[in-house]
Amino acid sequence: MLTFLIRRIIAAVPIIFGVALVVFLLFNVVGGDPAIMMVGKHATAQQMADIRHEYGLDKPLPIQFLNYLKEITTFEFGRSYATRQKISDMIVSGIGPSLSLTLPAFFITTLISVILGLFVAYFRGKLIDRIGVILCVIGMSIPSLAYILFGQYYLAYEMRWFPISGYDYSFPGRFDYLALPIVLWLLLSIGYDVRFYRTAILEETSQDYVRTARAKGMSEPRIFLKHVLKNSMVPIVTNVVLEIPLLILGSFLFETFFGIPGLGSITIDALHNSDFPVIKTMAFIMSLLLIFGNILTDIVYSLVDPRVKLK
Amino acid sequence: MRSIRRLSDLEGKEAMSEKILEVKNLETSFRLEEGVVVAVAGVSFDVYKGKTLGIVGESGCGKSVTSLSIMRLIPNPPGKITGGEILYKGKNLLDFDAAAMRKVRGNEISMIFQEPMTSLNPVFTIGNQIIEAIALHQNLSKKECRNKAIEMLKLVGIPSPETRIDDYPHQLSGGMRQRVMIAMALSCNPQVLIADEPTTALDVTIQAQILELLRELQNRVGMAMILITHDLGVVAEVCDEVVVMYAGKVVEQGSVEEIFKNPKHPYTRGLLNSIPTMKKDPTGKVKKTRLETIPGIVPNMLHLPKGCRFQDRCTFVLDACRQAEPELRVIKGDDRLPHAIRCIRDI
Repeated sequence: MLTFLIRRIIAAVPIIFGVALVVFLLFNVVGGDPAIMMVGKHATAQQMADIRHEYGLDKPLPIQFLNYLKEITTFEFGRSYATRQKISDMIVSGIGPSLSLTLPAFFITTLISVILGLFVAYFRGKLIDRIGVILCVIGMSIPSLAYILFGQYYLAYEMRWFPISGYDYSFPGRFDYLALPIVLWLLLSIGYDVRFYRTAILEETSQDYVRTARAKGMSEPRIFLKHVLKNSMVPIVTNVVLEIPLLILGSFLFETFFGIPGLGSITIDALHNSDFPVIKTMAFIMSLLLIFGNILTDIVYSLVDPRVKLK
Repeated sequence: MRSIRRLSDLEGKEAMSEKILEVKNLETSFRLEEGVVVAVAGVSFDVYKGKTLGIVGESGCGKSVTSLSIMRLIPNPPGKITGGEILYKGKNLLDFDAAAMRKVRGNEISMIFQEPMTSLNPVFTIGNQIIEAIALHQNLSKKECRNKAIEMLKLVGIPSPETRIDDYPHQLSGGMRQRVMIAMALSCNPQVLIADEPTTALDVTIQAQILELLRELQNRVGMAMILITHDLGVVAEVCDEVVVMYAGKVVEQGSVEEIFKNPKHPYTRGLLNSIPTMKKDPTGKVKKTRLETIPGIVPNMLHLPKGCRFQDRCTFVLDACRQAEPELRVIKGDDRLPHAIRCIRDI
């Protein structure tokens, strides 16, 4: 296990280097002149030169890249063009609100979806299953904006069950504001998730070992909860774990609509303002999290499936 | 282990010809999109304590469906037992409710399957899976269940069962896995063991070992066995009686001696002729003769021909064969399974 981790982390270094290179090329070379993006076309030559000097854009590209590498290895990503804040401070302040939204939303959704997936899979081919699948397809077909508008207009504005938007940094208090986005997250994802879990579970119910368990005289519910569930956990866990690191980035959609000051809305704001240092940093962090997520998935995979040995 | 042996010696000898399972006119159908397929169309046979009945036939002849029907494990939908009786110790299993049937499965009637690779659950240890079977039917503590599982593994010839019990299926070879399946099936001392092509997926040397093991355990425990196979060599080695199935029906039945020495149905003869032989010519050299085959393929179960089901592949076919389906007729009596054929000709 330890040698596996070390090996994977060493293997990740060149990947991260490659990601850094691509991100750098995208933003500093392909994406146009960062200085123009920053000050606009109508700035004076002097202003342009000042900006270039301040952000090191007057240096040759290889030196710029080395500076960028230095930034990402020290986690000092520089300052935002728009707000002049340190990007590392922005990230630290955004992680809390983002995780407060995404962690509960994700885990509640996953738990309920797996239970419902088991339920409909148990009644496969029966009326309950068919109704379940139809509801899933309807749920998947409604655009996400419709959920949000329905929630904000009907549940928050008309019924006054929730605040329409906003955020409170106090600890239990923030959930007054997060409750509605969490509920909507659940509604938005449940159709897709239940269908996915149902398929993963059904895949197992036709396996030979299920027949063996029946031939032993085991009852259907027990076969389901023991043999089928543990085997279907392999694809389910793989899918779920891969998403966990990305939860740190928050939700672009919900944070923007509900005014939650997390990393999601920071990124969206940065996109609106062409705030290159921030976008660059977020793109890089997202890649890092994906690499980390893959390693984590492999580890969890080996925990649920004894056939998988990490070497 | 000793207790098992003593019990079996007693039971085995006293009840040599006691009927334990009677299958009467069993009919199992599958409702498919294209129509209804009667996979087993009126099959009858008896199974005796301490004896082995072989069910032989090509793929798709209904032999596996017959065995799954006895266990009432036909997936429904699309399958359904649509007729007949399965009498276990005189009681019709088809009248049992789900809970009563679960008490029969694994406890009174056990089954092992063709694919030892996939028949065990890959994410649980073999011990867990054997103990599970024991705990379902016997009122034993956890420790006792584990000891019993180790004892069973020893019985089926798994080396160092005390440590092997915590292995996962993928850590065992195919032959060892089939031994585990046998240990699991026999852990509750069943009266009937159904072995559905138990050696088909195994190497030839391992096949012989598994058959030997089954025969030895049968002698020890005195259970009845139904061996489903397409391999006549296996039948000759292990079985006492044979039922030959073709397209969902029994076409010939009888004691293993009768079937091998005096086969009467053209299909049975065809099967026997398709076994490679090592006949020697007068000089002592092995004669290289062309291996015979049965021409044609099994009929489409959705569109069975009128009359005998074997007519299109039969070299002895008469016009009468195409008119009406022949009944199973006894040609030689026997105390257990009379020699009977479903053919109008005497060849």
